[in-house]
Amino acid sequence: MATLTGGSANVQQEMINRRLPFLMLVLVVVALGLLIQISRYQWLPPNVERELQLRGSQNTSSVRRLPAERGIIYDQGGQPLAVNTLQYEIGASPNLITANRKREVAAALAVILGRDEFQIYQQLTSATPWQQIARPVTADVGQQIADEDIFGVVINPLSKRFYPQGTLAAQLIGFVIEDNDNTRGAMGVEGYYNDQLAGRVIDQQVSNIPFQLPTRSDGGQRGMNLVLTIDRDVQFWTEYELNRAIQSTNATGGTIIVMNPRNGDILGMASYPTFDPNNFQQVDDPALLTNPAIAAAYEPGSVFKIVTVAAALNSSTITPQWTYNDQGVITVGGVDVRNWDRNAYGVVDATTALSRSLNVGMATMALEMGPDRFYSGLRAFGIGQRTGVDLPGEEGGILKTPGDPDWSEGDLATNSFGQGVSVTPLQMITAVAAIANDGLMMQPRLVKQIVDGETITNAQLLPAGRAVSAETAEIVTGMMIRAVTDEGGGVPLAQIPGFVIAGKTGTAQIPFAAGYEPNVSIASFVGFLPADDPQLIILVKLDRPSGYWGSVVAAPVFKQLAERLVMLLGIPTDDVRRQLEAGGGVVR
Amino acid sequence: MAQHRVQHTFERMSLRPQNQVAALGILGVMIMLIFSGIYLSQVASFATTNRQIEEAIAERDRLERTNEQLRAQIAELETIPRLLARAEALGFRAATSSDIEFIVVDGYNPDRARTVVPISLEADTAPVAQYDETFSGWVQQQWDALRRQFDGFGGS
Repeated sequence: MATLTGGSANVQQEMINRRLPFLMLVLVVVALGLLIQISRYQWLPPNVERELQLRGSQNTSSVRRLPAERGIIYDQGGQPLAVNTLQYEIGASPNLITANRKREVAAALAVILGRDEFQIYQQLTSATPWQQIARPVTADVGQQIADEDIFGVVINPLSKRFYPQGTLAAQLIGFVIEDNDNTRGAMGVEGYYNDQLAGRVIDQQVSNIPFQLPTRSDGGQRGMNLVLTIDRDVQFWTEYELNRAIQSTNATGGTIIVMNPRNGDILGMASYPTFDPNNFQQVDDPALLTNPAIAAAYEPGSVFKIVTVAAALNSSTITPQWTYNDQGVITVGGVDVRNWDRNAYGVVDATTALSRSLNVGMATMALEMGPDRFYSGLRAFGIGQRTGVDLPGEEGGILKTPGDPDWSEGDLATNSFGQGVSVTPLQMITAVAAIANDGLMMQPRLVKQIVDGETITNAQLLPAGRAVSAETAEIVTGMMIRAVTDEGGGVPLAQIPGFVIAGKTGTAQIPFAAGYEPNVSIASFVGFLPADDPQLIILVKLDRPSGYWGSVVAAPVFKQLAERLVMLLGIPTDDVRRQLEAGGGVVR
Repeated sequence: MAQHRVQHTFERMSLRPQNQVAALGILGVMIMLIFSGIYLSQVASFATTNRQIEEAIAERDRLERTNEQLRAQIAELETIPRLLARAEALGFRAATSSDIEFIVVDGYNPDRARTVVPISLEADTAPVAQYDETFSGWVQQQWDALRRQFDGFGGS
């Protein structure tokens, strides 16, 4: 080995000392250059960054889409009205399937799915990280593929809305439109509470590296559950009686609403015709998907006289002892108002005017009230306004008032007995329910509770305002009892043994462009029971029935349904209830 | 000083320098192997656990979906028309009002909440929170959520 002499070593050392700063300078410049370049990579344009991340993660992870799961809808007794059933989406991660297995996997999937093998093979050889092979497939098919346990084939569960009760309460519940991974509620509770029910889709990055702990968001995609005020059994018998009435009277349509007048809870709401929410796509006429109980306004006819009498009493225009001379006709604003039977009744009191359903009596009351008091009385009952029920598509009906271009003095008279004014069935029953609830009108509601995991939110009871005083309500209730029980003028077909019923019939003509259609009617009956402690109020409305009169076709339907419901809900007869109360018992 | 001690130790081992280097190399390799073994064992255990967790999650998901499916099937089997038909087949008939007899028990109050002494039960789970759809209900809900967060901090 050569050794350096002292002199040459010094020279070499000197040379190194001279070159070292230059070398260091070069290194510093290079290092700075590298540092700048590395720093630049930290602030890439977003699209480049995404692309690089995607390329980086292609071989180490895949995306699993957790579909939104809609909340379940229950009736008040916990019976499911809308649930989710299982379907699958079959997907594949081509990069996880080795080239020599692709043909074999394609063949296996083609057999189970009944699809073209080559088409699937083409999907498996694509360069994308994920390919959708089939969607949706039934739970059975999905299970078959799961049993094959093919590495790289992804089976994602899909939630499909299912209505186990079939057509029951279809117009109330609505239906769901499925749009890939998102579902959107339409009509009914599904539509109104879509934000609460929907849940959300979650894209989950799933690592293929076994060292990374699997992550899963628990229940993040699940929507809230709803508990309705609807009682499934009440709803069933409501629909049953409606269908029976439609068949026996050849009516073209109809609606029945059952409500608790004390709190506005809708226990049952049925309209005919209806649809199957599981196959709503097969409905030809979109109008069928709407809910006539809240969207189809009609002229209520004599049922409306309850509101007129209550408004007149409440404004002190009349007293129960008030009388007028009924001559069978009264002319107001050029309009001749006649009684339904065209008879004159002589001196008649307010109770008889209501129980005999005298148009002349109602027109006289309205005239004595004058437009201001009359229409403010109607507004207090919510006439001409939406009830605010938690359903989409509610109509407010039509109430012409002084100042409106199409209002005339004749309207004051005709409105008093339910002509020239239109209401929805829900508006009508809500107004009469105010009488049953001591004059306090409750906003009708359909949802009782919203359940979000461990948190339950009770829907609030909303008083819609005081329609009349409690005293007025009591007087009108007495008049309505007379309207049902009055000898000669009552409604025997609505009476239920053991119960005192407060009710009123309605037989309304159907308007068209040139007046009113001849020989057809909307027959209705509204009543509540027990009259002295109302627990149920029922409105029956039949469109164009063969029997024409409300007392003939609608009242028996009320009776049939009410008889079933008092048994179903355990409402004792009046004498039993009084015995219970006398013994210190409380009947709820 | 320490360098001298190491040199002294090697001299006492009476190994030639080449052998000393080899021994050090072998020792290093052995230590590496031991650490690698421990590392691989840990990683394998970790991977196995993760695999088991993944399987458990998949099983839980499957059971949840099965439950959902069963719930739908049960609801379908419990529809009223089906129950009515089944009841009729078993010989039952619909009750009428004349079949129902109310028995009046003097002093009995079905409103139990007012008359019966409440029994204290120890719930095995936390009570389900219930809130009213009012402003005060909303404030209470927010307050409880905040309190739970603080409780969570304290517990962890």
